[in-house]
Amino acid sequence: MRLMIFSDIHGNLEALQEVCKDSSTRNVHRSIFLGDLVGYGPYPNECIELVRNLKNCRCLAGNHDVATLWETSPYGMSKAAKEAILWTMDQLSPENKAYLSSLPDRLDLGEMTFVHANPYNPKGWRYVMDRKYALRSFAATRSRIVFIGHSHRPLIISKNHWLKVSIETIVGDIKSAVNDSRRRIINCGSVGQPRDDDPRACYLIYDTRKQTIHFHRVGYDVQKTVQAIQNANLPPVLGRRIVKGT
Amino acid sequence: MTIKRHGKASTTNLKQRFLLWSSLILISGGLLLSLLSFWNTRRLLMAEAMDKSEVLLQEVEAIRSYVKKELRPKMVELHGKDAFIIEAMSTTYISTTIMDTFAQSMPNYIYRRASFNPLNPRNLADPFEEKMLDWFEEDKARTFYQGIVKKNGESFFISMIPDYFTEPCLRCHGKVEDAPQSLIDRYGSINGFRFQVGDLAGINSVAIPVSASLRAAWQGSLVLFIMTVPASLLLLWLLNLLFQRLVIERLGSMLSLMKEKKKETDAEQPGDELDALRASLGSLQQYVHSARKGSSLQPNFINGYVAGTPIIAGAMSWLYRGYTATADNRENVAIKIGFDEALQNPLYRACFETELHLFETLSHPCLPRFRERIGDVVILDAIAGESLSSLLEKGPLQEPLVQRIFSQLCDLTSHMHATGIVHHDLRPQILHLDKNKKLTLLDMGLASSDQQPDPIVAAGLGPQGDFLYMAPEQIQGKRGDPRSDIYTIGVLLYLANTGKLPFSSKQRSIQKWVQQKVKFVVQKEDEEALSPKMIAIITKSLSNTPEKRYQWVEDLQEDLEKEFLRMNS
Repeated sequence: MRLMIFSDIHGNLEALQEVCKDSSTRNVHRSIFLGDLVGYGPYPNECIELVRNLKNCRCLAGNHDVATLWETSPYGMSKAAKEAILWTMDQLSPENKAYLSSLPDRLDLGEMTFVHANPYNPKGWRYVMDRKYALRSFAATRSRIVFIGHSHRPLIISKNHWLKVSIETIVGDIKSAVNDSRRRIINCGSVGQPRDDDPRACYLIYDTRKQTIHFHRVGYDVQKTVQAIQNANLPPVLGRRIVKGT
Repeated sequence: MTIKRHGKASTTNLKQRFLLWSSLILISGGLLLSLLSFWNTRRLLMAEAMDKSEVLLQEVEAIRSYVKKELRPKMVELHGKDAFIIEAMSTTYISTTIMDTFAQSMPNYIYRRASFNPLNPRNLADPFEEKMLDWFEEDKARTFYQGIVKKNGESFFISMIPDYFTEPCLRCHGKVEDAPQSLIDRYGSINGFRFQVGDLAGINSVAIPVSASLRAAWQGSLVLFIMTVPASLLLLWLLNLLFQRLVIERLGSMLSLMKEKKKETDAEQPGDELDALRASLGSLQQYVHSARKGSSLQPNFINGYVAGTPIIAGAMSWLYRGYTATADNRENVAIKIGFDEALQNPLYRACFETELHLFETLSHPCLPRFRERIGDVVILDAIAGESLSSLLEKGPLQEPLVQRIFSQLCDLTSHMHATGIVHHDLRPQILHLDKNKKLTLLDMGLASSDQQPDPIVAAGLGPQGDFLYMAPEQIQGKRGDPRSDIYTIGVLLYLANTGKLPFSSKQRSIQKWVQQKVKFVVQKEDEEALSPKMIAIITKSLSNTPEKRYQWVEDLQEDLEKEFLRMNS
């Protein structure tokens, strides 16, 4: 089975459409979206509708999704993020709000676990980017592979033994084998707002038979999204970030 | 897939009863244990006191015997027949004097020589001893007495033996004029004389105080009882947790589902959770009774629809052919009708609601489109054609048809699995093919979703469905594993290609069903109908352990499509 895993669209419809176009050529069987459909970007409703209509796709809730429903306060976020959330609240249709509120925060599938931020406290939204939180995440699940998003930076954390982990930063299109017995936490990067200095949208495909993880980077018309951000009167810094990929 | 549990018992009668009876049993048990402990300690104390007092008494008797048989004759020999030295010749004097000395170092042991008419006034019987003297006199066969006696508020364990006069004793206790002068000088000539051979001379007794020991035993039992109370509370708490987990949560989940789905007009039933289930089973019995009548279940008009002949009968609902009642624009539909009798059973109600929810939310070409719901009636798009089971009655299917069916079936199953649904009950009777060979799934009554509580798991029920098509782990009661559906697709694949089931004999017990499915081997006569690759695909799908099967239905679909391509080339 080939499983597409993507995360953090953040209302960036241009990036999402390009990712969907790219993945449709790669014979994907199922897809799992790890949360943050909205926030930052100018097309929240369109992104939700597109993802809802993807065949064999399941979605999880991210911190921006729950913030638009007031399940967590947006006032704890950065100024730009908070303004974008308040703007998104006004834009979302009641159906899409209901859809966001129905999203689970964790999914277990065979030897895999899927969460937006981390498996030990999915709604604590803590980033897993270092040894401490990686070990805590490994301890919270028995799954061999944990797929996460949230940090917008693709990486693979492997557990070498019970106290040692190795952290591999992913740059560009990379295929990595996961056919050994080591447990892994894999961050699939971000579709709509990458932060690893590469502005291209990022997603991955996990081939369960070949035991490979293939990270894909897809270019899209960033300027079009920047223009839409300006037209929506969202903070200009959000446009600058997606141009730079930071 | 993770199954979320939710819902609590609507009533807690069962839990309260369980707690009440458990606490009563535990407290009674603690009390009984303490009483048994006291009884046993007292028994051991008595046995010990009995041994000790008997030893002492026999020792005193030995002294008396020695005086009678050895010392007194020797003194007569040395000092002449008329001499009588009390300190060396009186058995009573010597034995009491020795025991007085003994009592100085062992004050807990009391030795007494008592009679009605003693020479020495200190040996005069007290009221209790008088009673005992009478008791021994009543029956000379009585030679020993042991028991607990209360004196001055203190309990004693007493051993007693009687002593009778013999011929040598009468020299001092017979006629006064025959008695030695030294005796009369010491004790006078009034008491202790005029006895005959065989008269009761007195009783020798040893008393051991046991009040302190009994008190300690009683305190020990009390401590034991006090200790059992917190232990019982802890046990009660653990039992309560276990009961909550194994029974109450499952019942509560099921009953809450029932409550959610039940009509608002339904009155609250008296009794506990099990009574509610019993009532539901009663309604199920009624349903089975009415279901046997068959045709009476066929309805006619339902709102704007007309129901016709049944397509398939299920445990909780039947599917009918039907059409819209409006005369100008008649349109064919399928009508799924849940039966009140069956749906009063909370389990069936929950399964039916899950099925309706799936028909309403799932969208796939192989599922009839959901139109509307009218109470417990669901209107679906029309279902034409015939069932796979009736096609298979004519023999194995042609290869192109097999390919068409299984491409659709795998696609449908992968769609269900991708959305977290496991069907659990795929079988030829619920798969219909129309004239264009389009597959339609008619029933999802035993399906479970990882986003909803599984009513069958919540009810703690065993396997549900047709064992002929069921995976071994599902026969053993496990649910929610998509690989169980993959096993069933393997069974259907073998059936479609060969016209036979891979495991066709019906078994009486679950163990035998599981044993039968341990290893799949293609029957010799069927080998010609299957290509080697197809045999490999079916064998992998029918692996006994889920880990050895295809892990994802997409993998099975991919292998099948490759094989179909090879066959067609």
